[in-house]
Amino acid sequence: MSILQYNGGCVVAMTGKNCVAIATDLRFGTQFSLIQKQFERVFQVGPKLFVGLPGLTTDTQTVLQRLKFRIKMYEMREGRRVQPKVLMAMIQNLLYERRFGPYFVSPIIAGLDENDKPYICCFDLIGCSTDPEDFVTAGTCEESLYGLCETLWRKDLEPDDLFEVISQSLLNAVDRDAISGMGAVVHIIGLWSDSYIAIFNFCVGIL
Amino acid sequence: MALSLEHTEEYMRDPRKHQFSPYADNGGTSIAIAGDDFVMLASDTRLSQGYNVLSRNHSKCFKLTSQTLLSSTGCLADVLTLTKILEARLTNYAHEHLETMSTTAIAQLLSTLLYWRRFFPYYVSNILVGFDEDGKGVVYHYDPVGHMEKMTYCASGASVTLIQPLLDNLVGGKNMKDGRTTPITQDFAKRLIHDGFVSAAEREIATGDGCTIYTITKDDVTEETFKLRKD
Amino acid sequence: MNISRQLVNPMLWSGGPVPGEFYEFPRICRKTESDPLKHTLYPSTSGTSVVGFTYKDGVMIAADTKGSYGSLSRFMDIDRLFKATDQAVLACGGDIADYQFIKDVIEQKVRDDECAGSMKVLDAGSLHCWLTRVLYNRRTRFDPLWLDCVVAGFKAGKPFLGFVNKIGMAYEADEIASGFGVHFSLPMIRDARDKKSELTKEEARKLMRECMKILYYRDCKAHHKYQIADITAEGVKIDVCDFKKETNWDVAFYGN
Repeated sequence: MSILQYNGGCVVAMTGKNCVAIATDLRFGTQFSLIQKQFERVFQVGPKLFVGLPGLTTDTQTVLQRLKFRIKMYEMREGRRVQPKVLMAMIQNLLYERRFGPYFVSPIIAGLDENDKPYICCFDLIGCSTDPEDFVTAGTCEESLYGLCETLWRKDLEPDDLFEVISQSLLNAVDRDAISGMGAVVHIIGLWSDSYIAIFNFCVGIL
Repeated sequence: MALSLEHTEEYMRDPRKHQFSPYADNGGTSIAIAGDDFVMLASDTRLSQGYNVLSRNHSKCFKLTSQTLLSSTGCLADVLTLTKILEARLTNYAHEHLETMSTTAIAQLLSTLLYWRRFFPYYVSNILVGFDEDGKGVVYHYDPVGHMEKMTYCASGASVTLIQPLLDNLVGGKNMKDGRTTPITQDFAKRLIHDGFVSAAEREIATGDGCTIYTITKDDVTEETFKLRKD
Repeated sequence: MNISRQLVNPMLWSGGPVPGEFYEFPRICRKTESDPLKHTLYPSTSGTSVVGFTYKDGVMIAADTKGSYGSLSRFMDIDRLFKATDQAVLACGGDIADYQFIKDVIEQKVRDDECAGSMKVLDAGSLHCWLTRVLYNRRTRFDPLWLDCVVAGFKAGKPFLGFVNKIGMAYEADEIASGFGVHFSLPMIRDARDKKSELTKEEARKLMRECMKILYYRDCKAHHKYQIADITAEGVKIDVCDFKKETNWDVAFYGN
């Protein structure tokens, strides 16, 4: 078993019409034993920006701390908030610095950019990134998530439909994975009118 | 997959270190969905080994009797042997008892055949479909050493991880507020199989090229095909 | 330590006999000395790719005539293709000894059928099916025949082309290749078919020559001399071809 599968867990993000969603399961364990079932691995790092860090939990926490530090440094130096693409470059640099002794995380970014356009992005553990237009998945049930997302996802989903699609994708995927599950959290970041951005956080599944 | 095989082309190895492996992974995916008065079995038509596509027109479904179909994926050498033995046993049975074997009996026979090779297993994922004693559609799913489970729907083979949760959701009604309330129709099953294979072919290299769907009803077995991506 | 053994870089002479020593089979595993059974768990003298495809009138199949011993080009005029009956041809890659063994068995089988006054000639379908069982049986006993077999001919009056390998993995297709042929020849054949679905005899022969030539250029264990069998309803015709004079190696001297 790979070290990436030691603690279990997964994250998925999707785009919709003027909105994005990012969701994670809540299990934290060591191999097949459970430690905690309220463990979130998706974090808000900007007013309309989230990052998910599935993988080895110790690296999830380290990468989060180092990322927060770099974000704060950026914001102080530049006097503006980080945009999704900036965060993408930041994570690439952070991970590639450890090219030959990597952090065992596969991060995912979801957010609205400076023009409030949906942006999602995923990485491998050494910082190779891709930002597709539909969905990104990472974690121990990545394959199952792909199977579901490929079938359920449609272009230009409205926020409530997007919520349903991402929830069903995640819940059914984690149900076939022994080391993910214990309920899930879904974040929807949506542009409701020209200026009004709202973020909704939902808990779904069996807790 | 129960076993994972490391794949190395022969010419990539040191010629002095030729090692013999009795198994190969030839890919392939199947889906089965049972309704009250029908049962559907579908498989893709790609035959692969490693990154090579050996054939684009190779169905994994075998018609055992007029009411029972089998789909085998995994190591093709074992698939061929297992199905040959099974067909011979069915012919013998038909000659001895003057009737074709029932689906439930074949299901048990297949489990026994697989377990006979417990310590040198057939590297095969099987799905057997047909009708039970009450005339309802059934699906039997096997592991390589003969564990058998009766179900109403299942996926097996290379893309099982991609397709099975989809079937759980849309056929089994898992994670839905009231579960599944309406019975499965042929039309719904066919569309779902189509979508499942299209999605799997998008993300899984051992699945693609084409798909064959067999529909068994009381009266007959019909066959239809559709294309999948070839890359 | 023998001096000659030290002089020879094992990577450069991998699998070959050591100069100045008695000719000895390499890779003899001392551990199995107590084992009364001798198993071919690696090939000795081996042949490379086999290529075959169906065309309008029948099936064409080819194999070159080289027998390699590790990286040494040991034999230049070996046959790896033979006519079993008027309706079946077998060509093999892999261990030459195993090929010659199975060839003898098949030839005896055909003679037995004839002597027994069998009304049916062993056709390609039957030979293919028989080979799957023999090879699968040997792999299950962990005593495989190290072969990639391609069977070409006719089955119930229709052109037939089938493949079986050392573990008994078998399939039928309109174009089959083994070894490097999978990477070089299959795309060429499929490409030719996309352009024209039914190849004539001349086109098929030309395509086969092209396939063998590309293999000769790129596969260091391939040879310019090859056997080609053409199986039609009239029977089997086996020719030996050589394209040495046609090859162009200018690119190999580029910059010199």
